[in-house]
Amino acid sequence: MRPGQPLLAARGAGRRFGQTTALHPVDLELWEGEGLALVGANGAGKSTLLSLLAGALEPSMGGIDRRNGVRVGWAPQRPAQYGRLSARENLELFARLEGEPDPEEASARLLREFDLPGKASPSANLSVGNRQRLNLAIAFLGRPDVLLLDEPTAALDPEQRRRLWERVSALREAGGAFAFATQNLDEIERHADRVAALRHGRLVFVGPAEEYDRSQTDTLFA
Amino acid sequence: MKRTLLLLRKDALVLRRSPLLLGILLAYPLAIAVLVGLVASYANSKPRVALVDEDNLPPTVVIGGKRFHVDRTIQEVGKNVKLVRLSPKAAEQQLGNGKVVAVVTVPPGFISTLKEMVRSPQLEVQLSQGTISSRVDQQVQALVYSLNRQLQRAYIGSNLKYVTLILHGGNGTFLGRTFDVLGLERSERVLRGMRQTPDVRRLEDFIHDARLALANTGAALKATAHPIELVRASARGRSWVLSANVQAYALALTITFLTLMLAAGSLAAERDENVIGRLARGLVGLGHLVWAKIALAAALALVLGISIAVAFGVIIEIGGVTGGEPWRRLPLLVLGLLLAGGSLGALGALLGALAREARSASLVALLVVLPIVFLGLIPAEIVPPAGWASSALPFTHAFEFFRSALFDLSPWGELVRQALWLVALGAVFGGLARLGARRLLA
Repeated sequence: MRPGQPLLAARGAGRRFGQTTALHPVDLELWEGEGLALVGANGAGKSTLLSLLAGALEPSMGGIDRRNGVRVGWAPQRPAQYGRLSARENLELFARLEGEPDPEEASARLLREFDLPGKASPSANLSVGNRQRLNLAIAFLGRPDVLLLDEPTAALDPEQRRRLWERVSALREAGGAFAFATQNLDEIERHADRVAALRHGRLVFVGPAEEYDRSQTDTLFA
Repeated sequence: MKRTLLLLRKDALVLRRSPLLLGILLAYPLAIAVLVGLVASYANSKPRVALVDEDNLPPTVVIGGKRFHVDRTIQEVGKNVKLVRLSPKAAEQQLGNGKVVAVVTVPPGFISTLKEMVRSPQLEVQLSQGTISSRVDQQVQALVYSLNRQLQRAYIGSNLKYVTLILHGGNGTFLGRTFDVLGLERSERVLRGMRQTPDVRRLEDFIHDARLALANTGAALKATAHPIELVRASARGRSWVLSANVQAYALALTITFLTLMLAAGSLAAERDENVIGRLARGLVGLGHLVWAKIALAAALALVLGISIAVAFGVIIEIGGVTGGEPWRRLPLLVLGLLLAGGSLGALGALLGALAREARSASLVALLVVLPIVFLGLIPAEIVPPAGWASSALPFTHAFEFFRSALFDLSPWGELVRQALWLVALGAVFGGLARLGARRLLA
C-alpha cells in the first residue's frame, strides 16, 4: 500500500453493454512516474478499462477516482477526430475545448512534433499512420499529467514509435504517468513498470513488469 | 456556452464542406413543399371564401310579402365552400395572400334595392388567380342562382300586384308614394259613357288589347329568371403558387426536413467519428452536445427560412403581385424560424440518439419527416386523432406560426400560442434527446 493518493484509480469499476458484461469490477491504480501496460486478448476488456479511466465511458458499477487537478489525455484505439476537418482544424478545435491558452500555437507545435501535414485537406484523406499520429497528438493537448493510450503504436512506423515513446517517457520523468494497451510484449519489457492482465473482462494479474511471466501469455490469449 | 459554440462552429464548417449534400437537402424539400401545397389545396374539399357584408344583412328579410332566411341561405352555401365573414380590408388582404380564394361582397343598400324591386342589386365577386378559382366561381354562381330562384317568386307576385292595379284600378304604393290608379276597366267604362268619336273608339280598342296582353303578364313574368346580376371584378391577388399556404408549407417543410436530418445525422456522426468519447470525458457534456445540435438546427432554419422568404418577396415584388407583407413581417419570421428550428432540432437530436449511427439516423429522420408533414395536413376537424398527433409534433405549429406571422392582420394571439407550443415541444424532445444521448457512449 503506497502512501498518498494515486493520480487515477478504478474502484470496483465495471461496465455492462446490455446483457453483456464487458468488464467485471476492477481495482487498479496509476501512480506518478508509472508506466502501466494492459495486456490481454481481443475483447478482454482493455479498451473498456481505458475508456472508463479516461471518463469516456461511465462505469455501470463502481467508480473512477481522479486526483484533483490531474489532467488526462486519451488516445482511443480507433482514431477519434473529425474527418471533414483538417489535422490543424482538429487540433485547434480540441485545443480550445481542452482550454489551451494559445490554441493556434499548441496546434502548430503538435503538427510539428508529430510530423503531420499542415494543409487544409480533410483528415479523412490522411493515411492510416497519419490519422493515428493525429489521434495521438490530440491526446497530448491540454498538457496532460496522465496519458491513456490504446494500442498507440499499431499503425506507426518505427521512427514514429521511437518518438512517441520519447514523449511518453518525458511525461513520466516529469512526474506524470501513462497506461497503454498493447499486444506487443517487447513494448511491455521496454516501457512498462507494471502490468495488468485481463481475460474475458476480468483482471487476472496486476504486478511489476518483471514479475509478469511471459509464459502466461499463452493462457491470456487462449 | 463557449464549448457549445465551438461545436456549432465545427458543424457549420463540416456542413460548408459538403456542398452537394447541402444542395440536395435544399432542393428536395422545396420541391416537396410545392407538391404538398398543391395536394393540400385540392384535398381541402371546401375552398375558403370571404363574405364581406357591407349592408349588415339581417337574419331574415321580407321581400314582396315573402320572408327570406338569409342565415339559412348562407348555411346552404357553407355546404360547398367555407364562407368566412371578414372586413373589407381583411378580405382584400387574404385574397391578396391566398388565404381565401374569393371574396363575395354584399354592397351597402343591397337589401333596400332588393326590396324596392325596381332594379337588380349587385353582388360583387373577386376571384384569385389559379386553377382552384374556377371551382369557386361555379360555387358562387350556384349561390346566386339559388337566391334568384327564391327571389323570382316574390318579384313576380309583387309585379303582378301592379298589373292588377293597372287592370282594375285602385290605390297602390310605389317607391313609398301612395297613389290612386284609374285602371283599364274603369277607363273603359268612362269611355263608354263618352260620345263615340273615332278617337274614343281607338282608345277603347287600345284598352281592350292592353287588357288581353296584361292578362298574360303573369306567365311572362315567371319566365324572368335573374333579378340579381353577377358582376365580375378583374382578377386580383397572388397567384396560387405564391399563396400564403404554399409559402408557409415551403418554409415549414423545408426546415422540418433539413433540421431533422441534420440534427439526427450530426449527433449520430459524433459517435461514428468516434469523437463522442473524447467530448464526453469532461470536454463537452452530453447536454451541451444536444444543445449544439439544437442550435445548429435553429441557425440553419433561420438562414434557409429567411432565404426562402426573401426569394418569395423578390418574386412578389418583381411580379408586381399585390397582397401580403413580404418584408415587414420578416422580424416575426426570424423568431418563428429560430423556435421551429430549435424544436425540430431537438426532435432530430432525439432521433439521432436513438439511431446512434449517422446513416441510420438520416434514414430514420427521412422516414419520420413525411408522416409528420402529412399528419399536419389532415384537417383536425375531419380526423381528430390526426390533429392530436400533429399537435404533439413541431411541424404543424411551425406552419401555423409562419402563416400567421406572414399574413394575419392581427397575428399576436396565434403567434404566442404557437411559440409556446414550439418551446414546450422543444423542451420535451431536448430532454429526451439528452437522456437518449447516453446511448451514444455505448
